[in-house]
Amino acid sequence: MYDVIVIGAGHNGLTAAAYLARAGRKVLVLERRHVLGGAAVTEEVFKGFRFSVCSYVVSLLRPDIIRELDLPRHGLEILPLDGTFTPMPDGNYLWRVNDHGRTRREIARHSQVDAEAYDEYGRGMVEMGRFVKPILSMLPPDPTSLHPRDLRKLLFLLQRFRGLSREDQYNLVQLMTMSAVDFLDRWFETDVLKATMSASGIIGTFLGVRSPGTAYVLLHHYMGEIDGAFRSWGLPRGGTGMISNSIAAAAREAGADIQSEKAVAGIIVRDNTARGVVLQNGNEVHARVVASSVDPRLTFLQFVDRTILPDSFLDDIDRYKFRGSSGKVNLALDALPDFTCVPGPGPHLRGAISISPSVDYMERAYDAAKYGRFSRRPYVDIVIPSLTDPSVAPPGKHVMSCFVQYAPYHLKEGSWDQKREEFGDTVVDTLAQYAPNLRNIVLHRQIVTPLDLEREWGLSEGNIFQGELTLEQLFFLRPAPGWAQYRTPIKNLYMCGSATHPGGGIMGAPGRNAARRILGDT
Amino acid sequence: MHPIIIGAGHNGLTAAFYLAKAGLQPLVLEQSETIGGGAITSELCPGFRCPTLTHHVSLRSDITADMQLARRGVEFLEPPVEAFAPAIDSPPVVIYRDQGRTMEALRAVHAKDAQAYATYRASLDDVCRVLTSLLAAPAPSVGEPDMRDIWNLLKAGRQFRALGARKAHALLRWAPMPVADLASEWFESDVLRAIVAAPGLSGTMFGPRSAGSALVLLLSEATRMLSHGCGRVRGGPGALTQAMADAARTAGADIRTGARVERLVVKDGRITGVLAGGREIAAAAVVSAIDPKTTFLKLVDPTDLSPDFLSKMRGYRANGTLAKVNLALSGLPSFTGPAFTGPAKAGHYVHESMEILAGRIHLGPDLDYLERAFDHAKYGEISSEPWLDVTIPSVLDSTLSPSGGHVMSIYAHYAPYRLRDAGWPAMKDALLKCVMSTLERFAPGVGKLVLAAEVVTPLDLEERFGYHGGHIFHGEIALDQLASMRPLLGYSRYQSPIPGLFMCSAGTHPAGFMSGGNGKMAAQQIVEFLAR
Repeated sequence: MYDVIVIGAGHNGLTAAAYLARAGRKVLVLERRHVLGGAAVTEEVFKGFRFSVCSYVVSLLRPDIIRELDLPRHGLEILPLDGTFTPMPDGNYLWRVNDHGRTRREIARHSQVDAEAYDEYGRGMVEMGRFVKPILSMLPPDPTSLHPRDLRKLLFLLQRFRGLSREDQYNLVQLMTMSAVDFLDRWFETDVLKATMSASGIIGTFLGVRSPGTAYVLLHHYMGEIDGAFRSWGLPRGGTGMISNSIAAAAREAGADIQSEKAVAGIIVRDNTARGVVLQNGNEVHARVVASSVDPRLTFLQFVDRTILPDSFLDDIDRYKFRGSSGKVNLALDALPDFTCVPGPGPHLRGAISISPSVDYMERAYDAAKYGRFSRRPYVDIVIPSLTDPSVAPPGKHVMSCFVQYAPYHLKEGSWDQKREEFGDTVVDTLAQYAPNLRNIVLHRQIVTPLDLEREWGLSEGNIFQGELTLEQLFFLRPAPGWAQYRTPIKNLYMCGSATHPGGGIMGAPGRNAARRILGDT
Repeated sequence: MHPIIIGAGHNGLTAAFYLAKAGLQPLVLEQSETIGGGAITSELCPGFRCPTLTHHVSLRSDITADMQLARRGVEFLEPPVEAFAPAIDSPPVVIYRDQGRTMEALRAVHAKDAQAYATYRASLDDVCRVLTSLLAAPAPSVGEPDMRDIWNLLKAGRQFRALGARKAHALLRWAPMPVADLASEWFESDVLRAIVAAPGLSGTMFGPRSAGSALVLLLSEATRMLSHGCGRVRGGPGALTQAMADAARTAGADIRTGARVERLVVKDGRITGVLAGGREIAAAAVVSAIDPKTTFLKLVDPTDLSPDFLSKMRGYRANGTLAKVNLALSGLPSFTGPAFTGPAKAGHYVHESMEILAGRIHLGPDLDYLERAFDHAKYGEISSEPWLDVTIPSVLDSTLSPSGGHVMSIYAHYAPYRLRDAGWPAMKDALLKCVMSTLERFAPGVGKLVLAAEVVTPLDLEERFGYHGGHIFHGEIALDQLASMRPLLGYSRYQSPIPGLFMCSAGTHPAGFMSGGNGKMAAQQIVEFLAR
């Protein structure tokens, strides 16, 4: 008999397990796949080439988790990823790096006004980030509740908002509601700068850069700075799987039992109380508490008999939006890509490479998805981790991770299995427009479609965040109104994955918050 | 010294009326020769009179009562049909004023949706009722809420609580959603989804998939509630504003037409009057019933405002997306589409009675159609297949056209103010062509009925009517430009950075939709200011 069974060994499931085990609970983690990590996983897909198959960079992993679980001791090392390089079709480029002075000079090459606005923008964003930071680790208050704890939290938020300067209040409201492009229009005039910056607002969503509600994700890039760590993005040595492995090691050290290739088939519920799980092999494992780190569709519509759930809750889960919009193409390369605008190898290849040459390019990529096609000219976010971390590829060879958007889960014509190679070709063709040698240096390619994300990684409709990060699915509405505090209508069944506040990305906050909730309740 | 009101649109007239009632004898200055701003009826060709811009009004019923508009000859008309949407190859949808009939009509087309529609209407009404109390009171001040703010918020909070958790959550969840998602959650029929979604898009830079469009839908419904559904006036919207002007004059206001205000006069940081026709007119307070951008970027000397305020005002989004096409027709057009009862009676649907054409006629058969129309606007183009929101006011109101003839009033979406390639004067014909060919698809032969046509582009809205950017709501209706943020945070209580200068146009809380609430609430603030 376990105290807690955690379903799924993704980074959130493992984080929850680690905190629960450290609090003395007897914890069992069950993972369906042969490797731990969920979407934060490193796999040797081709001999000698180790891919961060799904999630490929880390930015928001909560510093308190790194500290409290002592992850560096368990093997986590995050290597800085310097800058973002955006090649343009006309032979120009935009190359922002962490060195502030150099970035300013680079932006000034495009627009002097923008270079000046860049400082002011950064300062504003840091202020916003300070406001948002405590919200990430909060159990979201329900505004319809009169419980003193909810009221206190709402009052706390209101007071904080009122404590901001008029300027910051104005920025914050705009940031939370505007489109990324409208928001950036207030500061900048350089199209390629706005296109590249706005890209972070659409990742994983079924929205375009001009869709309202995409601006607030711009904050994410500034959260790292506030955390006192280095700015924005980083690469874990050994791939993103190392994050999961280090959390798993911390959990095991605290006594958690983590088993892979143990697929859960259902959750045992008696008297509306979770009692354990049934495995696909028919075995039952009992526990006082079940914490599910998989998404609500799997948890409530597959693992639980839906007839025992309240109708209103079922309605909410039925209409919870996934609509995956992205895919991955992982390339094993014989050599480095050679960009026409900046020929040869160089530091510009060490950061992120963003195919986002203009705002209209981004918007047209989105238009295709709206009507059920993948983008002919997609937005691609590329990293070449082997330049920073040679351990992931054979000597002289490289791995290139391409995050591709838009690749809608629901295609109007054909299936993803039929379109797989065509999708891969589209990505290679798109990149070859900027780096023509790419066609000749691809040794192997792995194509991860939204359908693969669903089948292999259990992400419904291929949504990388376990559900869209849109305003109506955030905070006290995530995943369902009234059920945003990790509890569910079934007693002793909890949620602890990205489908809960504060959402997806390798953040770990849902797992940590959920563990806190479970420890408080039981 | 009397207060001066700039602009004799419905908000200016409302403010004038309430200021006059308070004994302040306001002077209203209107640049055009006609009173009414965007709510006017004008002659298209001899005998045919058409609403030039808006064909729908939602004047708050308390204002209607205060102004005794019924006694002044205003007759509100109630179309038996709210909306009718013909589809290309499926049966049309008709939403009747009477819900029973709507259900019956829907049942013939889509049984599941018929049931859903009843539930949807009920939920929408409950949710919007809470919004009405927020729309009927000034937006709360974020910095220093006063006792009245707190009282109003508590009142709204109580109503919100009374909704019950389920509907309260719905309100919070719906507001930031795209109307496409909202409509798809409720309904399966494409054309029903489209007709339900449309009011969330009208006049905005939103497509059905744009987040936040659901809020526009809620606001327009809530405004409609405040007017008790009085959306049409015999004689067109011009008849309404004429009566409002009459009410204001009777109460003691002086209204001058052809009086263009060139500049606001500011001395020692205070407003002292306006410059009109080269002559300075002194005033104790000035109320701008024209849009905020024109007010602050054109009429005020920039040195009288802080650079920060100016830069925010420049950032206030007010680029229009809507053009108006008005047609004089020699007869009533016939809309096609399979008949209600299904394929058995397939063929042309010829309206057996005129009633079906009495309400809003929605030409935009599915959400993708609307979205494609919107896509063009994003790239600075006019929609090649526009979404048309059509009304034939002469069906209910025979005073507008000679016997047998009709006038058709069309909102054409999308027609962005900023065009990428050619300018507006050059694109005017192209727009009319797109509108006519779309119309022809749904009502074959309509082109042959046209006696006269008028096109009002966003540029005309700016040049003729003075709407900066040609935005019919005097500024985009989006989450960041509403309530305490409209037009700018800190200036949502009708006041401005210049003491004595006030705003009361649709660019203030509670935004557009012709409610008159802006003018009434502004007047209350001004009366308090002048009493100080």
